[in-house]
Amino acid sequence: MSEILEDLKRAIMQGEEEQSAELVGRALETGLSPRAILEEAMMPAMEEIGERFSRNEAFIPELIVAAAAMERGMEVLQPALSGEEVARGLVVLGTVHGDIHSIGKNLVRMCLEGSGFRVVDIGEDVPTERFVEAYREHRPDILGLSALLSSTMQRMPEVIEAVRAEDPSALIMVGGAPVTQDFADRIGASGYAPNAFEAAVKARELLGTGG
Amino acid sequence: MTGRERMLTALRRGEPDRVPVWEMAFNEESIIKLGAFFTDDLPPVKSAQKMSMEEKVKLLNTLFTVARELELDGLTSITLLGTEAVDEEHVRDGWGRILRISEEGEATAVGGPVSEPSDLRAVKPYHPQQTDFLMLLASKGNLGEDYAQVLVQPGPFRESWSLLGSMEKLLYYYVRNPGFVKDLARLVTDYILEVVDMAADLGADVIALDGDLAFSQSTLMSPAQYEEFVFPFHREITEHAHRRGMLIIKHSDGNMWPIMDGLVDAGFDGFHPVQPQCMDIGEVKARYGDRLCILGNIDCTYLLPFGSPEEVEETVKETIRVAAPGGGYVISSSNSIHPGCKPENYLALVRAARKYGVYPISVD
Repeated sequence: MSEILEDLKRAIMQGEEEQSAELVGRALETGLSPRAILEEAMMPAMEEIGERFSRNEAFIPELIVAAAAMERGMEVLQPALSGEEVARGLVVLGTVHGDIHSIGKNLVRMCLEGSGFRVVDIGEDVPTERFVEAYREHRPDILGLSALLSSTMQRMPEVIEAVRAEDPSALIMVGGAPVTQDFADRIGASGYAPNAFEAAVKARELLGTGG
Repeated sequence: MTGRERMLTALRRGEPDRVPVWEMAFNEESIIKLGAFFTDDLPPVKSAQKMSMEEKVKLLNTLFTVARELELDGLTSITLLGTEAVDEEHVRDGWGRILRISEEGEATAVGGPVSEPSDLRAVKPYHPQQTDFLMLLASKGNLGEDYAQVLVQPGPFRESWSLLGSMEKLLYYYVRNPGFVKDLARLVTDYILEVVDMAADLGADVIALDGDLAFSQSTLMSPAQYEEFVFPFHREITEHAHRRGMLIIKHSDGNMWPIMDGLVDAGFDGFHPVQPQCMDIGEVKARYGDRLCILGNIDCTYLLPFGSPEEVEETVKETIRVAAPGGGYVISSSNSIHPGCKPENYLALVRAARKYGVYPISVD
């Protein structure tokens, strides 16, 4: 890998937003392809920080600043991608009705975006009908449902049923503090992950775009 | 022993006559459902922020009835900062924080007076008023001296992020602007110390410092970040509570193993709620039972909402067998009695605690 891409990867992992933007600009100037910049430096940076997070070697603050640096870099990279389809897929994400918590969902969004997905975040306390509408409108590759409370988690099967009535093959992932693999299996979810980084790994697995 | 003596003995890691029964919180709906076992004079089910003053008084009276009928050993009060309605779903408090009301739990800050470091200088600190402590005063007046009075107060981490209206923002500044994080913690800690003072003046026995520092996998921040950004403020608050003759416990859901030593060094008397999905109470007892009172652990994620009373009894029995011998254990749910918990399961918890929790513990 070229030195500039190594620097870029390091800048993202350390959460250096300005450096990340500047290095993406310089990499483009040297003639590196936008796709190479993304796939050889930026996404690997997020993957590495995510893996460290999964091993408890990095914590949420490091994950958040890395995602912010990734975002700044993407702002510079995006115009150069010129419509080239690089997204791994589209995910619609929301916290179920009655649940006003956002941090878990937001971390999942950061990890998905860092992993190359395009994400439409429909917010917190989302009524079941709104999930169905958003599914109909965006036709995402994956729908993601989040809940922090064991009471609100009970909304998940209702959303799954309503969305599957619209599209029986809909891929729906669930997550959040009270959710377990067992619960996910019981309610017929397509996937579950115990943390935000693993959620991005699982999403790639579900779409067969590399684990 | 009175409930108060029982709670305070256990919090000092001693052995009372039986395992104290207490809860960090009951939600409105839970109070009303439990109250229905004992009285018909109940308020309508809605969040307290949406209740009239008369309905709020009725809600409090229902809680006191539940505490008396179930012979709980202590009761938790919250500070009720005056708020003004912003719209149907949001209120603004004395700090200028915008809180989103929830039927399923407590209101959460979604906007604050500080959106970036430069805003900090302009923040007008809020100072606690006696009227914020009406619940404590009512509890003390209604239940008398026989119940331990616990006041729950968000800790410096939670107060800091709620001024920003976002936990992610605070954690971002942990890396990007450590000085700002400390200035923010200073500001809210000064407020918390005033709350501790007023709680002591009004007769609280225990401060429960709220605000999660962990999630199921680990702590939100690294142990080094805890040491730098939270620990010094925790220590200041525990020292102050002790000076004022109170005991103080730390509440946090999640896997707190990485910073358990920090909690001990910071001077907390107890740790709540030892979430069973991520921490083994036997291991907590073995490693920290000589330095911390342990509170909680009866699962409110699956067991209390979906289990049977028989399963609750079995879990209570096993938990008492592991955590109660030698004292230093207060039984409660693994967070709170939220609207998802079946009221009959909470009654089963209390009954089983009485059945198996008599010292010396003799559970097979």
